Amino acid sequence: MNAITSMMSIFQTHGLEFLKATVITVQLTAVSLLIAMAIGLVFAFFKVSNVFILEKLADIYVFLVRGMPLIVQLMFLYYGISSVFVLTDFTAGAIALGIHSGAYIAEIFRGAIQSIDRGQMEAARSLGMPYTLSMRRIILPQAFKRAIPALGNQFIIGLKDSSLVAYIAVTELFNRALSAQAENYMPFETYFVVGIYYLILVLIFTVIFNKIEGRLDTSKRSRRKGGKPFDQGKTVIQSV
Amino acid sequence: MIKVKQLSKAFNGLQVLKNISIEIDQSEVVVLIGASGSGKSTLLRCLNFLELKDSGEIEIKGQAIDVNRTNLNKVREDMGMVFQHFNLFPHMTVLANVIEAPVHIKKKRKQEAIDQAMGILQKVGLVDKAHDYPEQLSGGQKQRVAIARALAMEPAVMLFDEPTSALDPELVGEVLETMKGLAREGMTMVIVTHEMGFAREVADRVIMLADGKIIEEGHPTEFFTHPKEERTRRFLQQVL
Repeated sequence: MNAITSMMSIFQTHGLEFLKATVITVQLTAVSLLIAMAIGLVFAFFKVSNVFILEKLADIYVFLVRGMPLIVQLMFLYYGISSVFVLTDFTAGAIALGIHSGAYIAEIFRGAIQSIDRGQMEAARSLGMPYTLSMRRIILPQAFKRAIPALGNQFIIGLKDSSLVAYIAVTELFNRALSAQAENYMPFETYFVVGIYYLILVLIFTVIFNKIEGRLDTSKRSRRKGGKPFDQGKTVIQSV
Repeated sequence: MIKVKQLSKAFNGLQVLKNISIEIDQSEVVVLIGASGSGKSTLLRCLNFLELKDSGEIEIKGQAIDVNRTNLNKVREDMGMVFQHFNLFPHMTVLANVIEAPVHIKKKRKQEAIDQAMGILQKVGLVDKAHDYPEQLSGGQKQRVAIARALAMEPAVMLFDEPTSALDPELVGEVLETMKGLAREGMTMVIVTHEMGFAREVADRVIMLADGKIIEEGHPTEFFTHPKEERTRRFLQQVL
């Protein structure tokens, strides 16, 4: 009972501040994921390019990012980036997070591109479409659709990982939690309240992603149009 | 129309085509037969450069094709290809499948491409399916869309790689009828198939491949009634 009243009072004193910090968390996540998507797409192309140097470059990038804890990379990049360029903490943090998520997103895109039936590329090429046009018009739209569930997962991880930039002085949600509990000496209650903020954020994220996934599902689309998918059991090769 | 001289092709040390030479005239319908692994599909795929030859010469419409100098995309525009597994673009409607290449490669105006596509769909009997997605179609309908998609580029030659092998028996007829229609119109066609009845009826020439070599060729009446080679006889006994 005591804990609950404490949480209520924390909510009363810090609620608005936490909400503002949540906005920063969302901004940070959005910017870093945009960076990550761009990086991920480029390195995914490198990986499927069949060009030795590009493939190796992508391998090294993924190896470095996956091989170190995010907090180490974050500190390393933060001090690295801000010793060369004059950047706000927010920008430095967003770039560092983007570079990190980018490696995972590259792998997601690579897997999705390679999962598209080889016949799709062959059909496009046989019509006279050049490689890049075939990629853009035929392979990527299908690969992207297939990557959505894994991307959604990665986005949620990215959202939660953004809490680590609290340590490089970006005043996002977790950073505010750190200061609040240092003021009120109620770490348990404070983190509990902040945890709920994160949960709500993730919930909203999930709902949005499920909407997108549903909208991109072709079988649902044809059902909406009133048609029936024809003997789906027999057309696995084509339509999976 | 097509001249092939001394064509050879190996995959990982396995010699799939050995010194193949053939000439195909304008409006000729050539059927390639042979056991699986005989190289007939590979030969077909070499004709539109989905597989690149190791040695030998390929001449198309009087132009010798040098893989490093000739724009293969331009060559492929002239060589429509129909695949065993249809390879329709599942994220596009039937109509969008058909106009994709004309709009993006031939730079046709969209309305013009649609008018032309509807004409072709009329010919293959699928006008009413123009706005459906491939997954809503039967196998036979899919293959007819694939034929329409290839025809939309107004190719000089149509290549068919086992176009009916993935179809349920009752759907084979409609695809063969469409192909017969093309043959009657004077389309130059190279067809890999196991449909011997079709070959007998439509082909101007039947070519038997075994172990990467042409072992016998001739007019279908002659070929099917008096095969000269022992291997051809054995093969025909097995499939007829």
